[in-house]
Amino acid sequence: MTARRRDILLSLGFAALLALVPLVFSTRYIISQITVFFIWGLVVTQWNLVLGVAGIFSLAQMALFAIGAYGTAMLAYYVGLPLLAAMPVAALVTVAASLLIGFACLRLKGAYVALLTLAIAQVIYLIVVNDTACFTNPPSGCLPLFGGVRGFSRFGDLGFRELLGSKFYIGHYYVGLALLLAAQVFCIVLIRGPLSLAFRALRDNPGYAMSRGVGKLRYQLWVFGLSAFFTGLAGAFYAANFGVVGPIVFSVSMLLFLLAMIVVGGMGTVWGPLLGAALLMAADEGLREVGTFREIGLGLVLAVFVILLPRGIAGLARKTEAGGPASRAGTGRKQVADSSDAI
Amino acid sequence: MEIFVQVLASGLTLGAMYAVSTIGLALVYGALNMLNMAQGALLAFGGYVCFYVMQQLGLPAPVGVLAAMVVGAALGLTIYLLVARPMLASPAFETQIFIATIGIGSVLQSVILQLFGPQPKAQPMTLPGGVSLGGVVVPWQNILILAVAAAMLAGVAWLLGRTRAGLAIRATAQSREAAQLMGIRIGRVYAQVLALSGALAALSGIMVSSLSGLLPTMGADPMLKAFVICVVAGLGNVPGAAIAALLLGILEAVIQYIFGVQYAFAILLALVIGVLIWRPYGLFGKRQVVRL
Repeated sequence: MTARRRDILLSLGFAALLALVPLVFSTRYIISQITVFFIWGLVVTQWNLVLGVAGIFSLAQMALFAIGAYGTAMLAYYVGLPLLAAMPVAALVTVAASLLIGFACLRLKGAYVALLTLAIAQVIYLIVVNDTACFTNPPSGCLPLFGGVRGFSRFGDLGFRELLGSKFYIGHYYVGLALLLAAQVFCIVLIRGPLSLAFRALRDNPGYAMSRGVGKLRYQLWVFGLSAFFTGLAGAFYAANFGVVGPIVFSVSMLLFLLAMIVVGGMGTVWGPLLGAALLMAADEGLREVGTFREIGLGLVLAVFVILLPRGIAGLARKTEAGGPASRAGTGRKQVADSSDAI
Repeated sequence: MEIFVQVLASGLTLGAMYAVSTIGLALVYGALNMLNMAQGALLAFGGYVCFYVMQQLGLPAPVGVLAAMVVGAALGLTIYLLVARPMLASPAFETQIFIATIGIGSVLQSVILQLFGPQPKAQPMTLPGGVSLGGVVVPWQNILILAVAAAMLAGVAWLLGRTRAGLAIRATAQSREAAQLMGIRIGRVYAQVLALSGALAALSGIMVSSLSGLLPTMGADPMLKAFVICVVAGLGNVPGAAIAALLLGILEAVIQYIFGVQYAFAILLALVIGVLIWRPYGLFGKRQVVRL
């Protein structure tokens, strides 16, 4: 069995197990927490494609997520589209935005990309927050075009309230599960497929890859745009699930939380980001009591993992499994090549 | 005329403020190939230490500035010992240090929040009064910031160009391995540069907070602007960064005057992206030839 088929079967198996969860536990809290896990899972699997697999240091990922969320809210609020129609449209808008950002940033390399994408994300945030001119005047008070500090609310839902009554959250759960399954299968196909060879070559030795005819801008734009689709869809689903979209989606602590998931789980691996998402969400739940120290804890986790375990927990599993080349700390080049062989 | 002087004065102040935040960042990237995302938090830390020493302990301003710089240097050294040194040998150093310093920055910022609380505070280290230039009053504080920026630039240029330590730093920047083979202690160079940049960050934190006030998150905005400036100038180019900072400061003041404050950063960034598409290695950066 090829690795690709194994991973796809595993995803289907996990999805089937998760599909049974609402039948066993019907507590609303558990179900909605797992739904939130689906949303962050969507974001980190796609971010991992960009960051871990293609080696593009994009910090604009949360901005793309926000574009998906705001797009959905605004289409539903201003145009009156039903959410089910607004979500894919918003995802396509996100793809368009990501291609624009990609064209501007991907000609540059490494650190330049990180800084520029961070700055672009910040500009989008500032435009949303600093806009105080009223665009419309609903009964709840002045509303700027992009919702301002308050953001959007009451723009409709997915229709599960009518269908399932008070159990509407179970509907959201299955939508989230289906989206995450699709996103994860997409990742597996990409990581285990021929395209990923090009991405890895560009990541590990861009000069050599380009001299062999692998166009950097073209391939990186591809992965950037494709992953933006699911990232935007994650944002759209976030909007539909919570019924509220505000500037909090741009917050640094959220960026930190998601980045920590990828790093803890294992950058560039197939299962690492989801593992990290599950672990960090569970830890976050446990640390709810000591809320003020959450940021300190997150920062420390991020730093400690990068220093001591740069390939995350998934990388650790691979090391013991193969028992070999990676742990032997060979030449630098060798290690870089190894880290790409995702488990 | 008055408007011209006004815009120029506020532009130069903005530019000088950006320059003081940028120099430390450019130095670390230029010498160590390391993007220090904790720089913003170091900035804030320096501002708060100065505030604490002057307000809480009641000591004079020079002591406050000195204490802030010593604490900044100590933090920079700690970052070297705990974060940079363990991963120096790693081939993915640039990526790893970037992520690790994001974490460290978050920790430092939260520590400030725990110690001093979320309310804004006023920086006591300010010069009162001002001087009248062409009918416009320019506060002494703004002139001080400009002077500090110039002094920092001159100091760093002297250190890099005229001293043995500077020679070692430049050699390390050119090629870490070659420098090591020539007997340069790489670890010491990294420690020196990080401590120096920590001290410079503390100083710029004091300068920035004297105009904007103290907040635990106050470092984020100057750091972002400093990053943009570094990128425009070409990462790691210290004098280029200072020139770019002044240019962008004046440009921002002009944009603010014409279009309004809220769009200034967005328009500036659009211009910067335009520049980078034209010159991907920055205005003053050199085109790098990659050898395979």
